[in-house]
Amino acid sequence: MTVQAYTLDDLVKRLDPQATEGASQQYFLNLGPQHPAAHGVLRVMLFLDGETVVRAIPVLGYIHRGIEKMGESLSTRQFIHLTDRLDYLSALMNNWAVARTVEKAAGIEVSPRAEWIRTIMAELQRLQSHLLWLGVLGMDLGAFTPFLWGFRDREELTYIFEETIGARLTMNYVLPGGVMSDIHPEFAARVKKYVAYIRPKIAEYEALLSGNVILEERLRNIGRLSAEDAVSIGATGPVLRASGVALDLRKASPYGAYDKLEFQVPVGTVGDSWDRYWVRFEEMRQSIAMIEQLLGGIPEGPHMSVKPAVKVKLPEGVHYGQLETARGILGVFIAAAGGSDVPYRIHLRSPTFNNLWSVTRLAPGWRIADLVAILTTLDLVIPDIER
Amino acid sequence: MALFDPKGARAETRQVAGKSVAVLLAPRLVRRGFLHDVFYGLKSLLTGMRVTLPYGLTTSRIVTRQYPENRGTLKMYERYRARLTFIRDGQGRHTCTGCRNCEKACPNGSIIIETAKGAVTGKNEVQRFIWRFDACTFCNLCVYTCPFDALEMKGDFEHAVFDRRLLVYNLNSYAGPHASLWDKVEDEEQRKTLATKISPYDGKVPLAGTSMAGCPARAHGEGGAS
Repeated sequence: MTVQAYTLDDLVKRLDPQATEGASQQYFLNLGPQHPAAHGVLRVMLFLDGETVVRAIPVLGYIHRGIEKMGESLSTRQFIHLTDRLDYLSALMNNWAVARTVEKAAGIEVSPRAEWIRTIMAELQRLQSHLLWLGVLGMDLGAFTPFLWGFRDREELTYIFEETIGARLTMNYVLPGGVMSDIHPEFAARVKKYVAYIRPKIAEYEALLSGNVILEERLRNIGRLSAEDAVSIGATGPVLRASGVALDLRKASPYGAYDKLEFQVPVGTVGDSWDRYWVRFEEMRQSIAMIEQLLGGIPEGPHMSVKPAVKVKLPEGVHYGQLETARGILGVFIAAAGGSDVPYRIHLRSPTFNNLWSVTRLAPGWRIADLVAILTTLDLVIPDIER
Repeated sequence: MALFDPKGARAETRQVAGKSVAVLLAPRLVRRGFLHDVFYGLKSLLTGMRVTLPYGLTTSRIVTRQYPENRGTLKMYERYRARLTFIRDGQGRHTCTGCRNCEKACPNGSIIIETAKGAVTGKNEVQRFIWRFDACTFCNLCVYTCPFDALEMKGDFEHAVFDRRLLVYNLNSYAGPHASLWDKVEDEEQRKTLATKISPYDGKVPLAGTSMAGCPARAHGEGGAS
């Protein structure tokens, strides 16, 4: 859907040319940019008929920070710390995406140990991100318990990151050539303890949420996204997989240590909110299984193959790299003039931007309360939508 | 018979991008008639109660940490990044040579270094190592880049002040040569002249000493609270 409108009046005229005052129940409503049910400064303009959504138009521009422009004056190593601030719930995976692209461009070898650390950290963070999403989903649909539990279990993972990396949210850990510091001596033991802790908790979430009649009524058949629509919008990650397309870069083009791991890709059947819920829920179990496999064999070796003093110079040309974050495919496009470690242009293809636009197809025909369920199962992180 | 069967997920193999991928298909939720749904709904609500009830009955599951009360026992992890400091030896000497690697590595210019040639040693010596706490993003690149292990991140975190200018200060406690240059100076009298003591708020620093919106200029080191 394309709407060409330059002012709010334009938009009203275009969407409802026949509207006469008092004769129609149709009106505009802004969901956001500051709204308790929206996660961050997301503004969705709703064209409503009574309480039913006729059209939903996301309006961007409230948290644009010019990160891509900043990337034109920073070396890639410095730029990585800004990628923490895109999708802050998968900060490590964002770091990794840039580092991987730079490594591919400059031909840097990465030791198996570094790849192992990156993979287990990415899976821990995927689990952490989905835990937060689960809590917020409960909160959005009117249950307060999952919110507290989600944050409780997420906190334990935050301590694991804090111990090894030294930061809780904006970590800046993965650099071209490896990772910034080796894992803490206590790391493996703590992760093992956490896995034993989280397994029964996941079962608890399942008993509390998955079988609950209210949650079922709020999710089943709400907001069906067909596979064709999902692909045409460019949706990725759990949103695409819930629509039945089994595209997961961890399987389709394995990176890190994923080719050594055994796991299944959770896939939905009809692409409704329930499928999106179930796919993320199952991904948590798969992540735990992957973490357990990774703990089985920690490769020895250096954690970094590039000395800090070495400038990672990018060869002339365009470079592209991508990987699967907790929300979908993050693509990093770098155009380099050559002979410098500062890119000429850096562009990020963020998963949430494309996932957000599926709301234009999903929302029509549903009530506002259902729209909240749709938005929460899309798992939006607003700073990732505009960089 | 539940609407949701956790074991209802079906495993199968699919071809994606020329690879066979093991997928797990989501179980579908089904309706089974009005009466069944009413009783199932009641049962599912009671199941939820059963899960949450133990949390209300026992205090052993409390995970909340009472922050200001637990200050005495609170220990941050050793790698926690909260405050940039100089690593000093037993005599209070740092190892910073003023090579400016950290200044160049800093993504947003939070580090400013002033150096001068030492009169005795003839080498570059740090006069002032200014850190802009107010701008720092704690990316750790300065510590990571430092070739002389002169910097570290400390874990203390209670840094709130009433005046933003107090967050811009010198890390070095003296202007003079780094630790290994001291031993090379043999003359006792010369050694005494090597270093000049400086305080965190000595010298001109960005923001410090200038008036900011509605807030008059203060002398260096003057607290905002009083």
